[in-house]
Amino acid sequence: MYTLTDISKTYRKGQHRVTALDGLNLSIAAGEWLAIQGRTGSGKTTLLQLLGALDHPSSGVINFDGRDLARLTEADLVDVRASSIGFVFQTFNLIPTLSARENVEVALIPQGLSAAQRRTRVAEALASVGLADRASHLPAELSGGQQQRVGIARALVKAPSVLLADEPTGNLDVDTRDEIMALLEALWRDRGLTLVLVTHDTAIARRAQRVATMDDGHLSVAPGERPQPGHATGGRSQPGQQ
Amino acid sequence: MSAHTTTPASHGSQPRAWARHHPAAIDRFTLTYLRRELRGRLRQALLIALGLGLGVGLVSTVVAASAGARDAQRSVLRSLYGIGTDLVIAKPAAPAAGPGGGFMANALQPAGPGLIPSATVASVSHLAHVASAAGGLRLSQFTLTDGLPQTMTVEGVDLAHPDLGPLGSGTLTAGRNLRPGDAGSKVAVVGSGYARSNRLSVGSRITLGAAVLHVIGIVSPPEDDGETGIYLPLATAQALARSSDGTSLAGQVNVIYVAGDSSALIPAVQAEIARLLPGTTVTSSGGLARQVSGSLSSAAALADDLGRWVAAATLAAAFAVASLLTITAVTRRVSELGTLKALGWSGQRIVTQVMSESLATGVIGAVIGVALGCAGAGLVAAIAPKLSATVQESSGSSNTTTIAVPLAAHVSPAAVAAAVVLALAGALIAGSVGAWRATRLQPASAFADA
Repeated sequence: MYTLTDISKTYRKGQHRVTALDGLNLSIAAGEWLAIQGRTGSGKTTLLQLLGALDHPSSGVINFDGRDLARLTEADLVDVRASSIGFVFQTFNLIPTLSARENVEVALIPQGLSAAQRRTRVAEALASVGLADRASHLPAELSGGQQQRVGIARALVKAPSVLLADEPTGNLDVDTRDEIMALLEALWRDRGLTLVLVTHDTAIARRAQRVATMDDGHLSVAPGERPQPGHATGGRSQPGQQ
Repeated sequence: MSAHTTTPASHGSQPRAWARHHPAAIDRFTLTYLRRELRGRLRQALLIALGLGLGVGLVSTVVAASAGARDAQRSVLRSLYGIGTDLVIAKPAAPAAGPGGGFMANALQPAGPGLIPSATVASVSHLAHVASAAGGLRLSQFTLTDGLPQTMTVEGVDLAHPDLGPLGSGTLTAGRNLRPGDAGSKVAVVGSGYARSNRLSVGSRITLGAAVLHVIGIVSPPEDDGETGIYLPLATAQALARSSDGTSLAGQVNVIYVAGDSSALIPAVQAEIARLLPGTTVTSSGGLARQVSGSLSSAAALADDLGRWVAAATLAAAFAVASLLTITAVTRRVSELGTLKALGWSGQRIVTQVMSESLATGVIGAVIGVALGCAGAGLVAAIAPKLSATVQESSGSSNTTTIAVPLAAHVSPAAVAAAVVLALAGALIAGSVGAWRATRLQPASAFADA
């Protein structure tokens, strides 16, 4: 699915150059669940943005399904984001003026589907996260957990191959956190998604197949508690190692 | 909780191709999003619309006041020279013959301009691009009432062309107007102001020179000065009046009103008349307008000059404020717009969304602007004092008439259309600035604090 080779990312912050990623190498297999941990500012979110085709690396190659994301045009990156990658955000990032249904529909707009097709798929997506009866509610009328479910439905409604989640339970209480993680796990398992999940929570990270730890722009990878891809689920490919 | 099992491969690449070729189409979702945004951020949208509306409203008010002042000027000119009159020909007055300026008490005499033979009217009417020409005889009668001098203004009207000259712009309020059959008769139509101040009505009798005339009608000129009071058949006026040296005015006029057949050719006609009648003054309606003085003239100049700049400056300020507010609104939505980009929305699609919202705000601004413009124009008309217009009684005459004119500022349909266009233009400018800001957002800004 992903092969990152010698990826570096530097930012200019005032007079200083900040190195967020420094010569990073990583492979992520299709259908794998990878957790990324690390201190604040260690480069986790930068890595997620590169995986999500939201940003270009300063150097290196990001091979995604045979295409180098670092060299794609903006129009091609838009296509990749529109069809292949789903995002789940820590702060949900729902549009406050749109209902749950419309927030999910937003993700289908770039695909040029008819209104009827969109309606059907949005209803399916909301049902899959248990929010069919909250479709008309505005985000402000939903609990944090429900808002994150809408966020997950929005990420999955376009049937992406990759789900990138940035601290998806960071703003939730413990009970809701467990519910959301159970949902993500079920979706990952049932849909054969590649799940990359950034988290501070070690307990959550351990549920992944592998745990990558970012430290000052460098990455180290260790196995998680879950069986590695190819061991438990059979058909999945073996992920690469750093 | 359940998880359905749609696979990534279950949706083909055709929609993606569609999306790339129709990246910014305004569809039902765009309108839904637009409606929700306007409703959800109503205060902000109203603030921007109000800014645009204020600017547009002020421009509409200034335009209405300016148009009102121009209308008032036109009205004054019409009252003196007639609706269809394009050119007025007069001859400068000869120096007065005797002591006291040559005026004799209770005698009907030429009001100022020098005399022109009536045959000249026919010569003028035969010139190219002249639709019609009418002679007029402006007279005045000087009387002493209780030792106080009073002047009565009388106009001899060419009954073949009653539409030209001052009587043509009046509205008959009682009796009947002069008609060709009245030529030489001792009948008169009087202005409503004059009739009021002298308690005249249809059937009354008035004395001019040594003759007694019957009042057959009362006419209300567009701007009633209360002085230009009496209109006679031209032949009657010529028969009753005497010049200051006592000679008859038979076959004489002292003003010629000319209507052209094309407004574009008036300057050419004016030049042709000047060649035909050397020593006369040929004044166009534009030239007449420049001769209007008094507070009306000052108000018109103020509305045209200062008002135009104030309106332009206000409009520019309104556009700038709307643009800044739109940028602020976009900046507040950094996370939202970044999220849309992360979800695969193209920059063009986001620009379309921002521009649509801005245009909708512009429509609200246009409605507010038109309403404010109408209210402003109404306020100007309500509180503006009556303006005075001082104008020569006829071209070439040294006598002047001062007329009180109300300022009727009104917003015309063209002004409403202009206000709408201005508000939409302002919204487009503001939207473009906001869209520019939105296009510069990186998709990674989805990770900014919401």
